[in-house]
Amino acid sequence: MDLTFSDTELAFRDELRGWLADNPAPPRPAEGGDDADFAWRRDWQRTLSDAGWAAPHWPAEFGGRGATLTQSAIYFEELGRARVPLPANVLGLLLGGPTLMVWGTDEQKDRYLPPILTGEEIWCQGFSEPGAGSDLAALQTKAVKDGDEWVVSGQKVWTSAAQWSKWCMLVTRTDGDVPKHKGLTYFLMDMEQPGVTVRPLKQITGEAEFNELFLEDVRIPDANVVGGVGNGWKVALTTLMNERAGLGFALQVRLRQYLDDLIAAADERGVLDAYAGELGELHTRCESIRLLAWKGLTDVEKYGQPGPEGSLVKWLWSDTNQRATQLAADIVGPDALTYGNDWSYELLRARGNTIEGGTTEILKNIVAERVLGLPRLKAAA
Amino acid sequence: MDFGLNDDQRDIQGTARALVGERASAERVREHAEAGTTDTGLWKELGEIGWPGIAVAEEHGGQGLGMVELAILCEELGRAIAPVPFLPTVAAAAIIEHGGSDEQRARWLPDLAAGRAIGAVASADSADLVVGGAEADVVVLVDRSGASGAVVAAADATVEPVDAIDPTRPAARVSGGSPELLSGDVAAGVDRALVAIAAELVGVCEGSVEMTVAYVKERKQFGTPVGAFQAVSHKCAQMLLDTERARALVSQAAWCADAAPERLHEAAAMAKAAASDAGREVTSSAIQAHGGIGFTWEADVHWRYKRAQMDAVLLGGAGAHRARVAQLAAANVRSAVTA
Ligand SMILES: Cc1cc2nc3c(=O)[nH]c(=O)nc-3n(C[C@H](O)[C@H](O)[C@H](O)COP(=O)(O)OP(=O)(O)OC[C@H]3O[C@@H](n4cnc5c(N)ncnc54)[C@H](O)[C@@H]3O)c2cc1C
Repeated sequence: MDLTFSDTELAFRDELRGWLADNPAPPRPAEGGDDADFAWRRDWQRTLSDAGWAAPHWPAEFGGRGATLTQSAIYFEELGRARVPLPANVLGLLLGGPTLMVWGTDEQKDRYLPPILTGEEIWCQGFSEPGAGSDLAALQTKAVKDGDEWVVSGQKVWTSAAQWSKWCMLVTRTDGDVPKHKGLTYFLMDMEQPGVTVRPLKQITGEAEFNELFLEDVRIPDANVVGGVGNGWKVALTTLMNERAGLGFALQVRLRQYLDDLIAAADERGVLDAYAGELGELHTRCESIRLLAWKGLTDVEKYGQPGPEGSLVKWLWSDTNQRATQLAADIVGPDALTYGNDWSYELLRARGNTIEGGTTEILKNIVAERVLGLPRLKAAA
Repeated sequence: MDFGLNDDQRDIQGTARALVGERASAERVREHAEAGTTDTGLWKELGEIGWPGIAVAEEHGGQGLGMVELAILCEELGRAIAPVPFLPTVAAAAIIEHGGSDEQRARWLPDLAAGRAIGAVASADSADLVVGGAEADVVVLVDRSGASGAVVAAADATVEPVDAIDPTRPAARVSGGSPELLSGDVAAGVDRALVAIAAELVGVCEGSVEMTVAYVKERKQFGTPVGAFQAVSHKCAQMLLDTERARALVSQAAWCADAAPERLHEAAAMAKAAASDAGREVTSSAIQAHGGIGFTWEADVHWRYKRAQMDAVLLGGAGAHRARVAQLAAANVRSAVTA
């Protein structure tokens, strides 16, 4: 057991820390709404990529630094620590790129990876549908072959960043006659074409991160199939696995900062003792999230496969984050419940944490079935 | 970063698991629990192979290994609820080693390290009730702050056995005698004792998860194993999460004791808070998931619940440690502001 970083890792961290100190992100735009916010994050990504810091976890041949798993965790921790915005193309950097590196052809990698890195082309994830959320494999969006193209019709929903995206990771049904997991195909769909309609959905925070996505006879060239026709489920799983890694380290550091801010707020108001129990509990939970995240990562480095920690970390983090934002309302008082401050924003945004990227109930199913080996309840046919 | 055990530690764990599995089977534990006795044969054996002294310095008759190794043993013994006074003895030894004078160390450590003497620890605020006090040769009393304490030889004191809910740790009221003040770094010893208790709790939890998962896979109602019902399977998942959360904090605290002692105080408080809660929650869920059987004296699940309750209150409950964590975190936040 050794809970310290090696000299190389410390050097990596210090280089990044130094760079972040010299290149602070500009402040969040006060006006202009979601579009201005997105433009701010896009500019920030450009700054990162110009300095070679957009995706250190990518191999050097694709513009990354070939960072080890530990280094990339350090990277996300440091970004969280510096309180910089999430890069605009987070879905391309964390999900799309890594999926292409596993399943893409050489042509696809050459064509798509560079603009992901610079943020020139934004990516979104078109998986969920009105009738297929937790049961993703039940999705109905249809793709039919027509010459060397596919014609796609259907509807996606909750598609984050679709309104700014050039490319969509789209999972469709290409064969309705085989079991549901087998008839799926994964495409890269150009969002800028007739037949693609994006309608922003207003969230409980008042902003619109996610959208409805209507597809009517959209055409996708055969060259944009990723991982082969009928292999969409496996490719989608690669995307989903990446969703649950990486980002966790940044979120965990943000939670720590949030709790530190909350402790300062309680101290300032003279109510630290009154809330010491819950503050101590959340601080302890946050520390265990950090440790479990690191343990999961070092297990992958050592044994080549993740332990149960991935699901545990996401479950524990989302739960703890929600509790922290509720405690903030107690400590700060009704002021925390007015619009236009971080407390109220976080309180509302946190509700999505136990839904996005797999609901807590689904994570519990995964832990019960795959980690503990409990039998699965037979679903009604 | 490496959360894994090294080869030597892995060996210790493997040996411990095999030995405890063989000598402290559920049947043996039940026999001793029913009789309210310690397994003196097993205790003698553990003393001979030096377990109680694993973390005691060599100059005091121990093996001079660290808290990580000690935590491994506590966890394995906790997993089986082994009826031996291991935890009280190593907790007392840790406090005497760090908090005692040369004379006090010389008097107690060699015997404690070899298992020739049995130790016990108690908070001075638990009045005079001492868990494991009925068989202890030496009792360490710690005040509420955990920063000062005293040591009492049982031979000089009045010891009245009391029936406590965990008969595998025979309790007693210890009064009188001539408590000698500990003048060294008592807090450093107490923090190590807290880690040992937390490690035992993790073991208790781990064993409870295993036994519950096995039961709910077998037990059928409505034509299906009850473990297929999400009300049950999600409870089991929660048990695992609570256990793993506590385990991660215990690993960190044990490592801090050996390699980063300046961080031990906070790490030990976090570990004890999380492990105390986990112990109670996990063993409660274990009873619930067993249904009526879980409420019977015959089913072994209640021994786990009882051990968890005793450990949870030993040297301060979760609430006290959580409050300390908040105060330490607040101090850090304040010093970051002024820095
Ligand atoms: C902020 C946010 C951003 C998102 N971004 C994207 C995106 O970019 N792209 C994308 O494709 N999707 C996105 N999603 C969608 C997200 O992945 C789905 O909402 C999620 O998978 C749940 O699906 P659902 O909404 O259909 O809920 P349902 O699956 O209908 O679930 C309803 C309730 O039933 C429970 N439930 C369902 N099945 C089970 C079961 N087997 N056992 C126990 N309980 C069950 C669920 O836990 C939930 O509580 C986003 C969601 C949010 C909140």
